[in-house]
Amino acid sequence: MILTGKALHRRTFLKGVGAAIGLPVLDAMLPALKASQIPGQPVRAAWFYVPNGIDMRHWLSGDDGPLGTLPKVLEPFEKVKNDILILSNLTSNWGRPLLVGAGDHGRAVSSYMTGVEVHRLGGTDIKLGVSADQIAARAVGHLTKLPSVEIGLEEARQAGNCDNNYSCAYVYNMAWRSETQPLPPISDPRALFERLFGTDIVEPPAAHAKRLAMRRSILDLVSDDTHRLESNLGAVDRRKLDEYLSSVREIEQMVERSEKEGMMIDPGMEKPFGVPPEFDDYFRLMTDMLIVAFKADLTRIATLLIGREGSTRSYREIGISDGHHPLTHHQGNMEMLNKVCEINCYHVRLFAEFLVKMKATKEGDSNLLDQSMIVYGSGISDGNVHTHDQLPTLLAGRGGNFLSPGRHITYQRETPVANLFATMLERMDVHPEHVGDSTGRLKGVSVS
Amino acid sequence: MQFPGQGKAPLGVIYNTTMSRPDAALALAMLHGYEGKREARIAAVAVNGAGLGAAQFCDVVGRFYAGAGPMPNSNSRLPVGLAADDALPADEPMVKAVLERRGDKSEPVYPCGIRNVGDTAEILALIRNALTDTADQNAVVLLSAPASSLARVLDLPLVRDLIAAKVKSLVVCDSGARQEVAATRKMLAGWPTPVVFCAREVGESLPFPGSSIEKDFAWTPAHPIADAYRAYHAMPYDSPSLDMAAMLYAVHADSGFFQLSEPGMIQVLDDGRLGFHPSPEGKHKSLRFVPTEKDKIIQAYIDVASAKPVPRPSFRKKQP
Repeated sequence: MILTGKALHRRTFLKGVGAAIGLPVLDAMLPALKASQIPGQPVRAAWFYVPNGIDMRHWLSGDDGPLGTLPKVLEPFEKVKNDILILSNLTSNWGRPLLVGAGDHGRAVSSYMTGVEVHRLGGTDIKLGVSADQIAARAVGHLTKLPSVEIGLEEARQAGNCDNNYSCAYVYNMAWRSETQPLPPISDPRALFERLFGTDIVEPPAAHAKRLAMRRSILDLVSDDTHRLESNLGAVDRRKLDEYLSSVREIEQMVERSEKEGMMIDPGMEKPFGVPPEFDDYFRLMTDMLIVAFKADLTRIATLLIGREGSTRSYREIGISDGHHPLTHHQGNMEMLNKVCEINCYHVRLFAEFLVKMKATKEGDSNLLDQSMIVYGSGISDGNVHTHDQLPTLLAGRGGNFLSPGRHITYQRETPVANLFATMLERMDVHPEHVGDSTGRLKGVSVS
Repeated sequence: MQFPGQGKAPLGVIYNTTMSRPDAALALAMLHGYEGKREARIAAVAVNGAGLGAAQFCDVVGRFYAGAGPMPNSNSRLPVGLAADDALPADEPMVKAVLERRGDKSEPVYPCGIRNVGDTAEILALIRNALTDTADQNAVVLLSAPASSLARVLDLPLVRDLIAAKVKSLVVCDSGARQEVAATRKMLAGWPTPVVFCAREVGESLPFPGSSIEKDFAWTPAHPIADAYRAYHAMPYDSPSLDMAAMLYAVHADSGFFQLSEPGMIQVLDDGRLGFHPSPEGKHKSLRFVPTEKDKIIQAYIDVASAKPVPRPSFRKKQP
């Protein structure tokens, strides 16, 4: 570390013509003379949402305490068993039919994230509330390049009626900045790449197209600035910068590969250009970018919609050609239910892989997973009858020595899932009076 | 569950109880009876000031009355609530007798879906969630328990307005139990709907005949309400009917069986007892039964409390 009293600005970018790449936290950004005041590592929060409920036969039930033998759906977490909390009995009340009736899929994700009523206003109008991630983003978003990142693994529709006169906006968006302003998730890998590592400065379309056509790396555009910066950094920072830029390049190459392969996709499928044909690859590509974004402290808040509620995606990767949503309405047909279970296992395998990568990503003396709180869950438990209580809910990470994972905790039924979100926000030093319909904080998740 | 366009929705009743006396058990039976007749809907049963067994008993009774049909899922029937923040008191013999009754093969006579606190509902969320599922001015809250839970519900963000919109009235029973003074005063001061006080004397003046237990509840060899009644006190005895009177009034306020006093205030004495003080400025009223209706009231108790289970009415729209 170079000991100077003058720090590199935290929001320094590597700039070139049409490109500006954010940087991870470097020692040089911290004033050496104030080293004793260096804050702790930042805490990240993310929400991963799976649609259409879970085969709860193979989720967790049973005694509270340390996690023992995991049931089938949770088996992939074996390697990170001590890094997850299974939280039973949480409820998303506003997902229920209540006085309105049908439309459970139309309400599920938006009520889950906000804890408020999802107003059924036909396909053209919307009224919801601020989602938990955006409450956090409002408070801590100014500390990073991006206040939050929204990712979706299905191309998002924002208009029209998606379920019993519930707008598609409710179905495709997890993040809501206000009661009428959803933040659409990015499903195109290139777009996510550009958002994370690219620019605040808009690259002229012609230059952008030319760069893509020439397969030039975004790093090439900022190479002069990179060299200039490197010459002023100490050895540790140079290594950090090199690792970071290598990660960016690797992801850029993955995006390029998927774009190349993406051109062969059946155009009838709901996938944007450039989406890897295999869902595994798609998931990994998008979550790899998220890991780098977290590591570089480009953002501390993220949502990732694994699939929209009511998704009819088939999973040929695991030999299931039926649509996900139709399978969940199995009416007790065991063959269908077993396929639902396989899809649930598949999603969990990918998510567990992501957690393993997070854990392998060093951050100071800790690792990225230890510095994070990552929810994996759904606003529907039983997809066959659309129940919105006893939700499958998993919280991964330690939130910077805040959570005490490796356990199963059962709460009283009807406990709002928003209580979990309020607890997470508190860890981020965000203290709203309430998060949607929260009634308090979750007891028992933390170390103390 | 209530839906517009499906005819008049039955009145939703939130019963906040300690479930520690036979009149409470019988009032719960009445509530199920009213639901079977579509005269009321069980919005929520919420236990506080009592142990897990009280909640288990309420669950047993719910399953008993669901015997004629499938148990509704948690979208259409909320689980029994239990205030469990503090250490729970020991279970009363009345509920233990029911929970511990065994058949010839030592199996429980009454199935119960609550094994531990995790199977009960968090009481604040339960009461609030029940109100979100109730049409405007179509719920009554019957309080026969410490007022601390209702006081805390009132403190939840936006819930005071929800109560004002959904609840017609709050009926407060003077069960004789010592109230938590500060919480009760706070709740009564802040409650945004009409409040009716049901004094202990009302229940004492309308005793439920113990003979009815042996006669009207005998249509089944195992009736949890009858077992609870027998376990509370050596038979034969007639039980005061405080909660039953309150339940009858709550569901059929216009039956002509009861009258309301002039305005006054429910007083919470420093020792936790409740009283009613007439006052022109008062926001509360006290319940009085019409003496000439006494026999009819008691017969109404018997008829509805001893009613056999009927298939659960569905207040829910069919999912497409």
